[in-house]
Amino acid sequence: MSTVVTRHKGRQIGWAFVAPFGVLFAVVFVLPILYAAYLSLFQDRLVGGMSFVGLANYTKLLQDPQFWNGVLRVFGFTLIQVPIMLALALLLALALDSGRLHASKFMRIAIFLPYAVPAIVSTLMWGFMLGVRYGLFRSINESLGTDLNPFQPGTTLISIGVMVTWAFTGYNMLIFYSVLRAVPQELYEAAAIDGAGQFRVAWSIKLPALRGSLGITVIFSIIGTFQIFNEPQILPSMVAGSGITTFYTPNLYAYNLAFTGSQQGYAAALALVMAAITIAIAYAVQLRGLKPAREQ
Amino acid sequence: MRLSGTARLLLVALVTVSTLAACSGSGKTSGGEGGAGGDTAKLTVWSWDGTVKLAVPGFEAANPGIKVEVVNAGSSSEEYKALDNAIQAKSGVPDLAMFEYFAIPYFAIPGKLADIGPMGASAFQSDYVPSAWNNVKFGDRVHALPSDYGPAALFWNSKTFAKAGLTTAPTTWEEYYQAAKKIRTLGKDYYIAQDNGDLFFLLSLIWQAGGRPFRVDGTTVHINFSDEGTARAVAFWQKMLDEGLLNTKINPWTDDWNRALNDGTLASQNMGGWLTSTLPERAPKAAGDFRVALMPQWATGQKVGAENGGSSFGIPAASKNQKAAYKFLEYFTHGAGLQPRVDAGAFVPNVAVLKSPAFQSAKNPYFGGQQTGQVLAEASTTAAVGWQYPPFFEWARSVYSDIATPYFTTGKGSLTEILKTWKGRCVTYGNEQGFRVD
Repeated sequence: MSTVVTRHKGRQIGWAFVAPFGVLFAVVFVLPILYAAYLSLFQDRLVGGMSFVGLANYTKLLQDPQFWNGVLRVFGFTLIQVPIMLALALLLALALDSGRLHASKFMRIAIFLPYAVPAIVSTLMWGFMLGVRYGLFRSINESLGTDLNPFQPGTTLISIGVMVTWAFTGYNMLIFYSVLRAVPQELYEAAAIDGAGQFRVAWSIKLPALRGSLGITVIFSIIGTFQIFNEPQILPSMVAGSGITTFYTPNLYAYNLAFTGSQQGYAAALALVMAAITIAIAYAVQLRGLKPAREQ
Repeated sequence: MRLSGTARLLLVALVTVSTLAACSGSGKTSGGEGGAGGDTAKLTVWSWDGTVKLAVPGFEAANPGIKVEVVNAGSSSEEYKALDNAIQAKSGVPDLAMFEYFAIPYFAIPGKLADIGPMGASAFQSDYVPSAWNNVKFGDRVHALPSDYGPAALFWNSKTFAKAGLTTAPTTWEEYYQAAKKIRTLGKDYYIAQDNGDLFFLLSLIWQAGGRPFRVDGTTVHINFSDEGTARAVAFWQKMLDEGLLNTKINPWTDDWNRALNDGTLASQNMGGWLTSTLPERAPKAAGDFRVALMPQWATGQKVGAENGGSSFGIPAASKNQKAAYKFLEYFTHGAGLQPRVDAGAFVPNVAVLKSPAFQSAKNPYFGGQQTGQVLAEASTTAAVGWQYPPFFEWARSVYSDIATPYFTTGKGSLTEILKTWKGRCVTYGNEQGFRVD
């Protein structure tokens, strides 16, 4: 064991190692948030310029039906899309890990690839596929004589869900898969000796091993879906009557407030409140989701 | 080994520092030139109008001290956002920027645009068609010079019309209505036009009918969608929608729209004169089929036009080269730089151009050899004056689609209700922004 003095010295050197990160973290992360908090206390008017309004932006926001409309929309979206996406990712990871697939390397890359496609490109792509005037749905409607339209006000959100699931399933699959690869081979051997079948192995060894990573992916996914922006931003210029409004998601609303309505202070307040809501939900999920894992 | 590594590092550092120094040096020089004003300057022009570039060589030859760089900083709202950001950041503000007519008040009223009247622009009033001049003049200040113009016109597909037994363009809205019914009988996909909430068309219809829903006086804005002209236009278009005479599923400027223009199922377009140069790109297969006509009238024998789009250039108040910027502005919107732009297809509201025999007699092969210039010149000079846009129109038009889309997708509601809701939102927003709106 070392003496108190050297331990103390060691700590100071530690700070020096952390400094480059610390400075970057402060400049690109903490400062912008503080600046947003500062901005949110002001109102910028086209006539009269900037004025200090205290917490008025926040009280206005809490009574803004358009804001809550967007929040509820992403909340509902998260509630349905995240479980579907994670279940898919889980199944794919288990399938890949089972070693019973042909060309599993190719499959792995193919499933992950959509994650590497920029959201703008993938939105355009899906827009063409799901649009009723061209592409897939036009052919379906023509051959079946139906009148399906994935981009009506009632179904647009589902279409966006399909796009997001397509893009992020591979990413989550990769997290699950890497955890599964780390399960010690001895466990499987022991299970085999005990006479466990594949299903039993998946249930009693693989799924418990995935518990920790499940918590992480749930939190990442919640944060991700709460920030949906690209898809509703691009779709209206591609398809008519999709029902996407300027306040469709909170992020889109913040963007339109700041850049079309020049209400930067109000947009900053929205961003902070949204961040608080997201953190609260992610934290609640973490508390609930990780507790059993810790108790084990 | 170690020494050479250090030497290399030093070299890199030296190169970096000297490059940085060179950059800051050149920055300083150009600033100095700007301060001197007048004859030597480097101008940055933001334009999404591709013809502006064509005026640069002639201008630089005539003004050897001034260098002009034309940059595309995005179209319409993208550019306004970029400009707003630059003005707020107090850096990167261009010396000239392009504005659609409706966007001028947004920048002009808070003082973000220079008054170019005293620089000489106020003498140009009679050189532009009245309605175009009306767009750039605010009280006794002039904030921009018109650079292109969108007189509302009717582009009609003579082949589709002929199929429906019609050989001429409708001259009144009543005839238009009758034509719409006939075209509708041609088949499931046939419509006289599309509409899924085209705000600018609705406004041009109101404009032509004599409605003046926005009255702007400094920072006071009155909004009224119940004057007689507005009511007449809205009631007529509501009838067209109610009777299913318009395709509400096609969005203009989409692939969909191109397709319908090419195969003739959309028989006409009510748009600005600028469509003359866009239509051949959008509907190459319909070459020779389309014709241009004046907007249908509210009464037989009348000739009243309206505007649908058009843009201008103004000098941001934060520009340090205003004198030089004005020189170039005058050159390409009014002076010798205008002709190369017109030759390249720019449609400008300059009376001298519109009246010139070359412009009037040119036959347009895409439009079956029609002398389209003649029609559009008439549409321009007859455009009714007195229209105003509220200073927050850019915002207002973005929320309009929020309000209008539910009606156009579900059919529940009416244009009157949309306009009522829209007015409510505008009043709230405008007052929050420090205007007095009612």
